[in-house]
Amino acid sequence: MAAHTENHGKSFLKSLIVNNKDIPAMPFIILGLILCAVGGFAVISVFVKGHHEAYGVTRQVPWGLLISSYAYFVIISTGIAFIGGLGHAFGYEKYAKISKRIVVLATIVLLAGFTQILMEIGNPLRMVYMMISPNFKAPIFWMGMFYGIELVILAFELYLIFKPNQTEADHKLAAVAGFLALLVGVLATSNLGYVFGSLNAREWYHGIYFSTFLVVSGVTAGAALLILVHTIVYKGSLPAELKPSMVSLGKLMGGGIGVMMFLYLWKMLSSIFTEPGDAYMSVMSLINGPLSFNFWIGEMLLAVILPLALIVTAKGSIKKLSMAGFIFLIGLFFTRFDFVVAGQLPPMRKGLAGSGVITDVAGFAFYSPSMLEWLVYMFGFGVFFLLYFSAEKFLNLETESHH
Amino acid sequence: MATKKFGIVLDAKKCLNCKACTVACKFENTIHPGEDDYRIWVTELELKGTYPNISQEYQPSQCQHCENTPCASVCPTKATYKSPEGVVLIDYDKCILCKACMTACPYDARYENVHLHAIDKCTFCYQRQPEGREPACVETCPTRVRVFGDLNDPESEASKLLARNHTYQLKPERNTRPRLHYIK
Amino acid sequence: MKLSRRKFLAASGGAFAAAVAAANLTSLKAVAESGHGDAQTGEKGEKHIASSCEMCVNKCGFYAHVVNGRIKKLNPNPRFFKSRAMLCARGNAGAEEPYNPERLKTPLVRDGERGSNKWRKISYEEAFQIVAQKLAEAKTKYENRSSVAFFSSEGLQEGSFQMLAQTYGSLNTVRHPSLCLSSTIQGWSSVYGVYPDADLANAMFVVMPGANRAEALVTPDSMDFLRYRPKGQQLVVLDPRFTNTAAKADKWYPVKPATDMAFMLAMINVIINEELYNKDFVANMTEGFDELKAHVQQYTPEWAEKECEIPADEIKWCAREFAKYAPRSVIYPGRRTSWYVDDVAFRRACAIIPALCGCWDVPGGIVPKSGVPLKNPDIMYPFYDMVEERLDVESFGEFDNNLPDDARKEAGLPTDSVAYLGEKDGSWIRFREAVLRGEPYPVKMMMVYKQNFVEAAPNRAKTLKMMEMMDFICMIDIQMSDTAFYADLVIPESTYLERWDVVHSLAGIWPIATFRQACIEPVYQTKSMFEITGGIVDEMLKIPELWDDTDEEELEYFKEDFVEAILHAPIQDYIKYQVSGFENGYEKLLKDGVIYKTDQGVYGQSAKPGYRFKTRSGKIELTNVKYPDKGLDALPVYRRARQPKDGQFRFILGRHGWNTHTGTQNNEFLWEIQKENTLWINSKEALKLGIKNGDRVVVKSSVGEQTVKAEVTEKIRPDCVFYAHGFGRVSKGMSLVYQKGASQAAILEDYIEPISGNAAMHETFVTVSKA
Repeated sequence: MAAHTENHGKSFLKSLIVNNKDIPAMPFIILGLILCAVGGFAVISVFVKGHHEAYGVTRQVPWGLLISSYAYFVIISTGIAFIGGLGHAFGYEKYAKISKRIVVLATIVLLAGFTQILMEIGNPLRMVYMMISPNFKAPIFWMGMFYGIELVILAFELYLIFKPNQTEADHKLAAVAGFLALLVGVLATSNLGYVFGSLNAREWYHGIYFSTFLVVSGVTAGAALLILVHTIVYKGSLPAELKPSMVSLGKLMGGGIGVMMFLYLWKMLSSIFTEPGDAYMSVMSLINGPLSFNFWIGEMLLAVILPLALIVTAKGSIKKLSMAGFIFLIGLFFTRFDFVVAGQLPPMRKGLAGSGVITDVAGFAFYSPSMLEWLVYMFGFGVFFLLYFSAEKFLNLETESHH
Repeated sequence: MATKKFGIVLDAKKCLNCKACTVACKFENTIHPGEDDYRIWVTELELKGTYPNISQEYQPSQCQHCENTPCASVCPTKATYKSPEGVVLIDYDKCILCKACMTACPYDARYENVHLHAIDKCTFCYQRQPEGREPACVETCPTRVRVFGDLNDPESEASKLLARNHTYQLKPERNTRPRLHYIK
Repeated sequence: MKLSRRKFLAASGGAFAAAVAAANLTSLKAVAESGHGDAQTGEKGEKHIASSCEMCVNKCGFYAHVVNGRIKKLNPNPRFFKSRAMLCARGNAGAEEPYNPERLKTPLVRDGERGSNKWRKISYEEAFQIVAQKLAEAKTKYENRSSVAFFSSEGLQEGSFQMLAQTYGSLNTVRHPSLCLSSTIQGWSSVYGVYPDADLANAMFVVMPGANRAEALVTPDSMDFLRYRPKGQQLVVLDPRFTNTAAKADKWYPVKPATDMAFMLAMINVIINEELYNKDFVANMTEGFDELKAHVQQYTPEWAEKECEIPADEIKWCAREFAKYAPRSVIYPGRRTSWYVDDVAFRRACAIIPALCGCWDVPGGIVPKSGVPLKNPDIMYPFYDMVEERLDVESFGEFDNNLPDDARKEAGLPTDSVAYLGEKDGSWIRFREAVLRGEPYPVKMMMVYKQNFVEAAPNRAKTLKMMEMMDFICMIDIQMSDTAFYADLVIPESTYLERWDVVHSLAGIWPIATFRQACIEPVYQTKSMFEITGGIVDEMLKIPELWDDTDEEELEYFKEDFVEAILHAPIQDYIKYQVSGFENGYEKLLKDGVIYKTDQGVYGQSAKPGYRFKTRSGKIELTNVKYPDKGLDALPVYRRARQPKDGQFRFILGRHGWNTHTGTQNNEFLWEIQKENTLWINSKEALKLGIKNGDRVVVKSSVGEQTVKAEVTEKIRPDCVFYAHGFGRVSKGMSLVYQKGASQAAILEDYIEPISGNAAMHETFVTVSKA
């Protein structure tokens, strides 16, 4: 009996393996391996040195690059899952056509994100206390719950999409799972906004803004990554049946950026009028302070203006859309970094003699990521490239028609 | 049931900025020298005026042991908790070092204790409670800036000071209701 | 003569032995009862040991919390009422001293050029042999034991070092007061016969000229003036710098430096002319009022305003308030007063004011110090033939004192001698001057106990030159101080937490006696100065040439009554003898860390009938009776000091509560409070010079220059600059502060206050420019 199951299992796994020679995966797999090796070295260094030594975060700015990169990855993942949910559960055919890639991509990007939070948290093993001694009031508890559940749902979806001999019941289950992935993804991401919004000390994060913004920018980023991945996989020449999907994703992305602009406008303007509060300081750190390069070049130019211009002028050009996606995903890093750091730059105590607080002349706390933080971030990309392009190489990610 | 409510009443005008409290704290709580590693601090507030009409004040401070604790509410594992006397404490074994409490604290009272591998902060020297001893910062102070006591006991020196003087708390707008009261 | 001396010797020695025997009995009993003996030997578990601090001079009591044989923390001793049961930052940081990675761990002998930081480790025995050998060589070569100078710093083991000096027989002991407080002692003593305290816990009107009790901590004054400040007490601070004390004051007068005396004389003028003085007190207790009255007529407030830049109305207000609150009014005597060349005269002016108003020996006034009665064995050292008089006495008339060219040099100050030289203390600057000249006799060897004169004494270049002239320099310290760095032999002492020290009475309004017991075993098998003296003396006794100029019989008594009975006995025996006048004194000491007769303030000692002030007239001398004998002014005469020219600043000194002199900066717990010093410069002056906060600037005097970061501030007069003591160090053995910040000794010019022999450290003018 056992042997039989094993054989059955083996044959099932074996049946999944294909070798997609056409997909230009190897360069990315090699890139992934290199990044994993370098990042792996960084990970070991961090454990040898200790987080405190290895990272550039300080008492005044305890959350830095790795929280940003965590947010970067997991929010893209839930954004992708959102798009998948639209396809699966709400019958958006254009997205359903790429649902296999959606599920695989969402899962792997989520895993890449988890590498970041595991490296950020000083005592990941003690996370067992989130089960033994949970604090239901704490947004980080819910963050763990939601992202954990999201992973389970995505795993279930993976099972369903790779299951041979799919039945109608499987499709229904997939629809339910897709809906749940969308729902839990939105909850997880908006809760991430709440993780920041619940910080009594940090005015910049208070209110509904970041919960909304993170969800919107996440869906936008999901669309961007999907377009980019498809363009890579098909070497720029997509099958005709997928083109409408890409165009639709392009519109979704453009719409997302539009909503982001709308949100930016009012957040920035309203924060300027909170002078002399900390939210004012935070907005000034972006407009005219230590984060101004990040903000104007990264957030505004790369994540808003250029991609939007490309999308508007794309007129069905997948190349332009994918270029927009690529630039957006670079810009999005600054968006996430600024989101995490800007709220913490106003120190909780003035940088006066004896206070222990060190600030610049404008009164901002300092933060610049250490080399090891950058390398751990690269590790996240390494995991992503290695796993995703291996999947492309060795699994069939083409979605067969449902009907 | 009469519970105790520990707090500190500070008369910052007596502060010499001599740093006896900060050094005492470091030894009592085994804090090694290091830029971010301190539980308590004495800030030289901005000099007011121009020569020769100037004034200078100091502000000793530490964890405010808030009644409404921003740190405890964001702790996912309840590593930060309150003692029966309202002292905000940390169960180091439960701390996952997510640092949410650090970002949540409006007083920048927390730091990462690399030796304990956990977040740390002022505990009112809770380890001294069984012997009924005052916190190290209170005990060592040359001018007795800080008076520690049970704010629920009207006969305690701290309660009397609180009743007799106009006092203020730091960052009242954060609605944290600190247990550190500064005499005006 | 000799006979009676021997008889006395025998008697005192016998008494010592008997007392020790009696004390031993009771202490054995106590040990048996309390199980204290176990705690001493067991290295596991926790214990709390009473001892006293050595991070500064105050010797505050503490209980060392020892966990498994290691000091965890020092907690204030609640019985130590002199400090009001506190322990300051330094006191707390003392717990680091035994474990300081840069402490001296073993004797080191130089193995390269002086100052090359090349050393060879040797044993204590070898070190003792070297010292004894060098002492013998000096004696043989120069046939004058005074050719070896003994420099020491204040402390409970200073006595042990003095035992060595006296055993050798050199009269050249040079202690710290002439770099510190000898002028205020002389000034106040010239009026009251003693150097008294000010009762800040009860005074209602306090004038603090220059003293900075908020930062230069002195027990109990630093505590009392804030913690026990009586309701309504007014504090007036005169200081060119806005010190923390000034920040706590009701009035801060940024007095023009070197003119404080004008302020005091004008106060006297107002008090006398407005008849605000206490007529009965003046008539009964004082001497020379009429002369004073005539003398101060010239010193009107309006005149003083022009000198000291404090408005005449403020001076009048001060005089009237002072008299109003008398006798609960004080002019604060101060401590480190090595300021100006006429400091004694200034202190006399200060001392006269409370005398006029009867603020003497009553709560809230100026109060003579009381002590705790202790027994100290009379040690009779041998008399030697080959000894010459102190060098700084012997050189009288040989050369001029270092005085700046102004009215003060022209009259009122001795120009070729120190009028009242401390017999054991000497005058540091005067002494160095004589050594450099080699006249009237050469000094060629130095024994130094913890006195870091390379950084403590003005004009570092001269000090180093003096050291170059030495055949041999031996330093005893706990860290590689700058002086140790240039020595030939460095002997580590145990830190104060690892050793037993004798009992010391801390005199004051609240007298208390303290001592030290070892809280932990020495971390590096180091020895106390008492043991070091014992070791060196033993080696000396093996060298016959060292003893050929004394009486053989005397030497035998010396060996028996001092070497055997004291040096070879445990120091605990000495301690037991000291407190043998107290019931269970030794046990009390071990348990409580202190011993005292009363915990209340002691007032009115001088009100007892028949009390004679220790002045020549036996009264409080408003007009000094003996000064004219030496050609000194009987009354304080104001003579205008030179002031800095355009482009010059007066360099002034000061302290803060985070470090003691040069001894504590290399302690990481204190270093992290202040990592280097900065030059305070008035913001308007800085603007003129184009200096911004944090700029590196060169501070230059006639004797040296230093580079330091500027601190542009409102907290200092435009004509002064300041930086803190203890930075810009030359010893590579103090790596935390080696070449960090700027040194005072390097730029201070070496002027002298020639009545007391004190250094005058606020007479240096500097230029400041961007580096």
